[in-house]
Amino acid sequence: MARAAGSAKNRPMFVRTPPRQPQQTLLWLAPYVAIGIFALAMLVVTALLQWREQDTALSALEGDMHWAERTIEARLHAHQDFLSELTREQEFRQLTYESFQVRAARYVRDNPEITAIVWVGTDGKVEWVSPHEATAVFVGEQLTGVRLAALEEALRIRRPSFSPDYGDASLRRANDLIYPVQRGSSDIGAFSAMMSLEALLRVTLPATFTARYSLTVVDADNREVLSNSSISPTDRKISGTISLDLPNNRLGLDIVAYRGGGIWAPFVPAALILVLTLIATTTLIQLRRHARRRAETEEQLRAAYAFRLAMSQSLITGLRAIDLEGRITFVNDAFCRMTGFSESELVGVKPPYPYWPPEEFAQLQINIDTALAGQAPASGFEMRIMRKNGERFDVRLYFSPLIATDGKQIGWMASMNDITEPKRARVELERAHERFVTVIDGLDSAVHVADAGSREILFANRAFQSVFGFDAIGRDSAIVTAACRPPPEALVLDPAGLSPDDLPCELFDGEIQHLMSGHWYHVHERAIRWVDGRTVRVQIAADITDRKHIDEVNLQQQKRLEQTSRLITMGEMASSLAHELNQPLSAIANYCAGCVKRMHSGNYQLDDLLAAMQKAGEQAERAGKIIRRMRDMVKKSDPNRQPVHLAQLIDEARAFADIEAQRSSTQLLIDIPENLPRIVVDRIMIEQVLLNLIKNGIEAMHDTPVEHRRLSIRARHLDQRQVEVTVADRGHGMAEADVEKIFTPFYTTKEEGMGIGLAICRSIIEFHQGRLWVEPRRDGGTVFRFTVPIEEEDD
Amino acid sequence: MTEQTIYVVDDDEAMRDSMTWLLEGEGYRVACFASADAFLGARHEAMNGCLVLDVRMPEMSGLELQEKLDTLGSRLPIIFVTGHGDVPMAVAALQRGACDFIEKPFRNADLLSRIEQALQLGSELAARHRRDSAIAQRIDHLTQREREVMELVVAGKLNKQIADQLDISMKTVEAHRARVMEKMGVRTLAELVRAVMTVS
Repeated sequence: MARAAGSAKNRPMFVRTPPRQPQQTLLWLAPYVAIGIFALAMLVVTALLQWREQDTALSALEGDMHWAERTIEARLHAHQDFLSELTREQEFRQLTYESFQVRAARYVRDNPEITAIVWVGTDGKVEWVSPHEATAVFVGEQLTGVRLAALEEALRIRRPSFSPDYGDASLRRANDLIYPVQRGSSDIGAFSAMMSLEALLRVTLPATFTARYSLTVVDADNREVLSNSSISPTDRKISGTISLDLPNNRLGLDIVAYRGGGIWAPFVPAALILVLTLIATTTLIQLRRHARRRAETEEQLRAAYAFRLAMSQSLITGLRAIDLEGRITFVNDAFCRMTGFSESELVGVKPPYPYWPPEEFAQLQINIDTALAGQAPASGFEMRIMRKNGERFDVRLYFSPLIATDGKQIGWMASMNDITEPKRARVELERAHERFVTVIDGLDSAVHVADAGSREILFANRAFQSVFGFDAIGRDSAIVTAACRPPPEALVLDPAGLSPDDLPCELFDGEIQHLMSGHWYHVHERAIRWVDGRTVRVQIAADITDRKHIDEVNLQQQKRLEQTSRLITMGEMASSLAHELNQPLSAIANYCAGCVKRMHSGNYQLDDLLAAMQKAGEQAERAGKIIRRMRDMVKKSDPNRQPVHLAQLIDEARAFADIEAQRSSTQLLIDIPENLPRIVVDRIMIEQVLLNLIKNGIEAMHDTPVEHRRLSIRARHLDQRQVEVTVADRGHGMAEADVEKIFTPFYTTKEEGMGIGLAICRSIIEFHQGRLWVEPRRDGGTVFRFTVPIEEEDD
Repeated sequence: MTEQTIYVVDDDEAMRDSMTWLLEGEGYRVACFASADAFLGARHEAMNGCLVLDVRMPEMSGLELQEKLDTLGSRLPIIFVTGHGDVPMAVAALQRGACDFIEKPFRNADLLSRIEQALQLGSELAARHRRDSAIAQRIDHLTQREREVMELVVAGKLNKQIADQLDISMKTVEAHRARVMEKMGVRTLAELVRAVMTVS
């Protein structure tokens, strides 16, 4: 780090790229080839040396062999000469036993390979033995086996013979050199020298010779007769054969050189070379492997390095490294972009840094001190810093220690995020949430969200809390809302058995009465996926008590209207029946007139007249039917008169009229004396009259200024039989001409009216033996008055 | 002159029957139709008399029938029979050229007198129509030259002027003129002028 900090040009350790390794070629094969060639050359040289050595050994062998052959030959010739001399003397009777003894004993003494020299008869019986102390043979001994065969063979061919080997008395291998003796043409016996070939070789060949060569005597059939070979290995390549010049027995002597340095000696150099080559190759391979691993590691390192470099430069997070004293040692591109300062302007700088706004110095100094002390909070510092152009912005700075490869801390790494936008978004979100809460809390409807399984209330608005308690959140919704909850069997689906695929779905939509307060709620319940993914029930309960009340009132009014509509229909029917009656009446008139005319003129047929009269009668019946229909209808709506308090009637009528009055902001003033006697009327009919008059009054004040829209309803005890009721408005009033016409059926001053309302009202009042009339109000407007009978007192 | 007929159009059977009874008793010829369509189906040019029409009828109302007949060029006078409250309708009908209207229930004398008036009107109209068509027929029989001469005569031109204008001799004009008077069946110039004025 310090090195990097020294020069701004010199990229710090993060950014120095290692040199790239040269491209691999077939060059790596060269050492292997060299090793191979070297090994081969060494092998050839070794082989050449071996070959030369063998050559030398071979020529030495040949020399030795010739020497040995001559030596042995000379010895054997000496033996043969000695025996042939004895033979000649015996043939010519010049040899005595004593001279034989002397000469032979001397000879035997001089030639240790000869054990004894004997004279045997033709029959094979030993007759002379010299030296006489010899133990291998004794006088009078009969020769047997191969010895006898060899003797007889020699006698037969009359030439010297060398017997096959046999075991002598001391069980040593021995051979007989037999020289037959003839005298004249007859055989008289033979001289035989008992000779040991082994002794012969030992005596003739020096020890140095036997130490170097393995000697083997073989017969004509190449059968081994005698061998002095030790266990030392022999080299059959360095060998030769010499023949022992013996009469009548072709024995040869195989000479094989002992291998110098053991059997493996010739292979040792080659083996050494091979082993060395092997070791060299293995080492080379290991080296190469190592090199490759190293190259791979380097490659990985380079890739990781490039990756880190790219990462640090492409990050939108600003990175800044400082040493333990706070000096900036590294900044990435993002950091430069964010602050607007170049790398060279920042690296090497100690606090206060150039991007610190002057007004924040104190706070930022505290922050950096805290961070250098290693006490930076995990959530980082939120701070306001300054771009080069002076623009301020909010960032969040996270500190983490910078540890060198040796495990020692060398500084602090800080990552910096521009949180201006997130901060703005967060503020927006908070405001949005505030708005949401305000709206939800502002609702009249009680809204709450409960977990579908555990029924824990997760959210409840103020309206809900004011109805069900302010500690509702977190509690069991079934308990909290027990007084106003859709029964489980009323739910469309079982909320506990819902799968996420079903969501959102309706659970309940209906009206429920709160068991405690008696209020009516319109409860709408749905199952939805909550913000954290679980299934919840959202319930919206709107207080509909008022609306329900209005609905009920409307319903009652509707019922009453239906009852009274019959009366209205009656008026309409009367009119239409009048039309209908015209038909039969006109027809009757026609028939009658026709008859009269015919009878006057006297020109008629009686049958025709009868038929016409009959038809006239039928038409009269038709008219009667029409009349009956009308009467039936009137009968159905027979009024039901009962004593009733007028105030009560007015109250009920007013309940209906209130809606209209509120809509038009009309004030209803009611003034009924308390001691007013009960009236005897059909309450529905009189209510209808009142309602009609009130509505008329309200409508009449349509153009009156709002503050003057007052409708007064008064009642007074007129006399002992009746009560007068007054309905006075402050509307447009009434033209003089209209005053009587308004009670005529089908007369109307209103665009939508049927023109029979007041006519019916008058009919109703008259039906009650009362009167309905109208007069203009003094200060403008109209006053309707009617009288109804009161309950007759018993006294 | 053919006998006149009273055509009654009313959807009420009793009304039709009693009207027939009444009117036949008075010596009229009566033809009844249950609907406007039925009447239109039976209608022909030679119908002579008057039409007694109920205003209120299902399907085509009396007023609609009146309109239809207007477009067809019918010359039958129409008396509307109305019920209670149909007065504005009857007024509209009168404005459109109906002959008369009568309100139910009516007095027979009223009906009969109105029918008589209507028939009178009807026959006058028919007679005028016949006369007009006769004159038109005669004019049709004139040659091209005679018609030219007649038009100039009616326009009050002297023979000399006519001869000059048509570039023919006086004698030829006189001959044509005589032929025109003969073919038109008139004796005086005044008669000819009246006849031509009627049709034009």
